[in-house]
Amino acid sequence: MPPARTAERLGRMLAVVPYVVRHPGVHVSELSRLFGVPDDELVADLHLLLMTGLPPYTPGDLVEVDVDDEGHVWIRMADHFSRPVRLTHAEALALYLRGSELLGAPGLPEAEALRSALDKIAAVLGPEALGALTVAVEDPGQGGPLGAVRRAVEASESIEIDYYSATRDQLTTRRVDPEQLFSALGNWYAVAWDHDADAERLFRVDRMKEVRPTGRSFQPRGLLGRGRELYTTSEQDIRVRLQLAPRARWVAEYYMVDDAAERNGTVEVSLPTKDLAWVAKLVLRLGGEVHVLEPPELADLSRRLADDTLALYR
Amino acid sequence: MLAGMHPLERLLNLVALLLETKRPLTYEEIGTTLGAYDQDDPASAKRQFERDKDTLRQIGIPIEVVSTDAWEVDQAYRIPKERYELPDISFTPDEVAALFVAAHAAGEEGEAAQAFRKLALGAESGMLAALSGQAAPTGIDASGPHLPRIAEGVSGHRRLRFRYRPAEGEEGDREVDAWGLVFRRGAWYLIGGDRDRKEPRAFRLSRITSEVKDIGGGDAPPEGFRAGDHLSAGPWGVGEPDTTARVAFSPKVAWWALAGIPGSRTLETRPDGWTEADVPAAAGESFVSWVLSFGPDAVVLAPDPVRRTVVAALERVRASG
Repeated sequence: MPPARTAERLGRMLAVVPYVVRHPGVHVSELSRLFGVPDDELVADLHLLLMTGLPPYTPGDLVEVDVDDEGHVWIRMADHFSRPVRLTHAEALALYLRGSELLGAPGLPEAEALRSALDKIAAVLGPEALGALTVAVEDPGQGGPLGAVRRAVEASESIEIDYYSATRDQLTTRRVDPEQLFSALGNWYAVAWDHDADAERLFRVDRMKEVRPTGRSFQPRGLLGRGRELYTTSEQDIRVRLQLAPRARWVAEYYMVDDAAERNGTVEVSLPTKDLAWVAKLVLRLGGEVHVLEPPELADLSRRLADDTLALYR
Repeated sequence: MLAGMHPLERLLNLVALLLETKRPLTYEEIGTTLGAYDQDDPASAKRQFERDKDTLRQIGIPIEVVSTDAWEVDQAYRIPKERYELPDISFTPDEVAALFVAAHAAGEEGEAAQAFRKLALGAESGMLAALSGQAAPTGIDASGPHLPRIAEGVSGHRRLRFRYRPAEGEEGDREVDAWGLVFRRGAWYLIGGDRDRKEPRAFRLSRITSEVKDIGGGDAPPEGFRAGDHLSAGPWGVGEPDTTARVAFSPKVAWWALAGIPGSRTLETRPDGWTEADVPAAAGESFVSWVLSFGPDAVVLAPDPVRRTVVAALERVRASG
């Protein structure tokens, strides 16, 4: 058995034992689910535990492990392992940072409970486990109908949504099968099968004006969630090329851009897109800090948008 | 006991022995008691003992080492119970459920999940079973390769060295005393004392282009240091508020425009369907940029200086191209 596996199995056993002591008669299948390990491996480790104990290792000094015919587990004579080992530094940091990331995602229903749980961890384990770690999480605001979408994902239920697409500047009603929900760049995204487009789509949850349950369940197609690109390039993409002045350079980082090139303090980038409507708004918000290299329609569209907006100030 | 006992069995006995012993035990005493480390070759037996100690330390078990003689030749070992055992933290069922979501948000069976299992020991067993039976549907994008090392640095006020590509300017080397972390809009920032610039700076982790090296102890942060104070607003938000602007939004965008803006206040929906709101705003370009992102679906009503800045930006767009 390689050393890494030994450490992992030992660490797991030292957590399993206190759990069984605390929950006598717990089922093997519950343990294997909870500890992420196959039933047979868990039972094998329990059998090894049976051979251990305290000196002088007479039968009365050994740990007693009972697994009955139905798979219920009892452990006795293991007072020395009745508490779990403290969190390692890495474990405490990992959980604390993950929790902080979730607190920084908008509108999470568990936010309040999560905050108080992290506070308790910091208060009890603080200096030893987290050291001088200070984490500030910026208030992410509201997140749209996150709860309703999450219920649909959990139940694999189709929903009908009123959705505002910023790329096309349109509000449409669509029937979708949401499979995954993930947070990226401070927004929640639902990965769903869109029945109206008959294709996979990403939907920003805060752009769903309304979510209506349909009562119909769907068979998940195994769509990819967390870690995917937020934009998928395609053949129909329009080639947009922008020259960004220093104050507009953030665009190169915030959006997915191609072949960025430095030129006399400016950056030239290509932006793959299927629609010009949102790029025109981007040009507008950069207020002259950007020069449209191509296509010419984009420059026209931006100027028209500026005219329409200026009209509101007259 | 047999010399060929299973490694896991030997390790479990070793932990139990060192936990329960009344006084520290020497290597020889441990070997005799356990019936282990009795290979024919004494050097390889000792190496096995050293490996076992490393395994224990690796999973967070503290081993106390004391000298048993004045010349510090012989050493003895024990595991101090008060440093081994996790103190009881009582969580509400809601808190346990929230920690479960956090522990599994990144997907992999990692250290956060292991931490959760230890902490959730006292929770109702039925509840944990229900939680672990379902795949966590709420994911979060991976925080990038540098976060664990940087968090280690912050927790120990270490001095870190890395290459950095700033939003403006040339890529270069940085030496930073790690003081705090900020999470904003899905991105992590390290706040620390920049050794060259001699002032606190913010570093976005996704712009770090090399390994992060720990190069020793760093200076402590100044009195009253707050990590959040040293990160300027991103150009995609309303900015650090120093004033309040009144903005009207068209019906098309009004329902979502303010969702991500903490502190904003919706006032009234006018007869023409537009909604007026007070928005905490920075007088600078960041707020103007945010308002302009709505195009002709938002208009600043007050104050006048902000209105003038918006109009000037629009004039520039019209003139450009």
